[in-house]
Amino acid sequence: MNVRVKDIVLVGMMVAVIEVCKAAFAWIPNIELTSFWIIIFTLYLGKRTYFAMPVFILVEGAVYGINIWWIMYLYVWPLLSFITVRFRKMNSVIGWSLVSGVFGLLFGLLCSIPYIFIGSFGTDITAGFATALAWWVAGIPWDIVHGVGNFIIMLVLYHPITGIFRNLKNYLE
Amino acid sequence: MKKRSKIILGVVAFVLLIAAMLTAFFMLREKPDEGTKSISIQVVNSTGETKEYKFKTDVLYLRQAMDEAKEKGLEYSGVESTYGLMVDTVNGEFAEFNTNGAYWSFYVNDAYCNCGIDTQPVNDGDVFKIVYTKS
Repeated sequence: MNVRVKDIVLVGMMVAVIEVCKAAFAWIPNIELTSFWIIIFTLYLGKRTYFAMPVFILVEGAVYGINIWWIMYLYVWPLLSFITVRFRKMNSVIGWSLVSGVFGLLFGLLCSIPYIFIGSFGTDITAGFATALAWWVAGIPWDIVHGVGNFIIMLVLYHPITGIFRNLKNYLE
Repeated sequence: MKKRSKIILGVVAFVLLIAAMLTAFFMLREKPDEGTKSISIQVVNSTGETKEYKFKTDVLYLRQAMDEAKEKGLEYSGVESTYGLMVDTVNGEFAEFNTNGAYWSFYVNDAYCNCGIDTQPVNDGDVFKIVYTKS
């Protein structure tokens, strides 16, 4: 892929949109537009999203400090983009709402992976799995809020936003 | 018709996944012991100095135990949030990530607490540590 000035600008705009929406919704626990935007950007801006993702993760680390959650970000958001690529031919608002919703539901489970290693430090892997399980179970109510929130956000915003992206197709290529 | 069946199947699977997660939550979540328990709350301040509060209690959750420890001299305050109280001041020492890059870490029996103080269960013999942590 040849990187043009336009691509660099779009990468910056993608990160800005995600960060602004993240800050705007920060007051509501586990309601976020990051999942929505990563799915939409992967669908309509293609490989440029692969450049935006590490920039977004670096900005998050720079703003909030590097901690365990940052390690989780390194794989959860690229995984969502990868899943989107796998389903890219799907053209159904309910289908994309389910993808985003299930991702939200499983977010805690995915994020518990580092705790397997943290919990097994100095003991064995069984203790690691017990730590990860306890951490995941404690957050299940918030995972459900996350999943249902993601589902509704995609259901409401999919048609208006994809309509805009289709109209901008010539500018974005 | 085939597409419609897929959508219905997907929505049903989504609801079933939520139901399975709720079941896992109610079956596997950490639960407090009922009755009288002997516990200890240790506060480690920014200089590494430890102050211990040992007592017997009937409470179920850490926040209630911390309220009882107030009678023994523990002081704490914080900001109420959807997740419960976010503690920022313990024994007069302020630690808030966005303000001074520090925070109060909560441990139970040397393991990092998985819950906030409002939902952290209290069991017999538990040793809680509240540690000033510089990020």
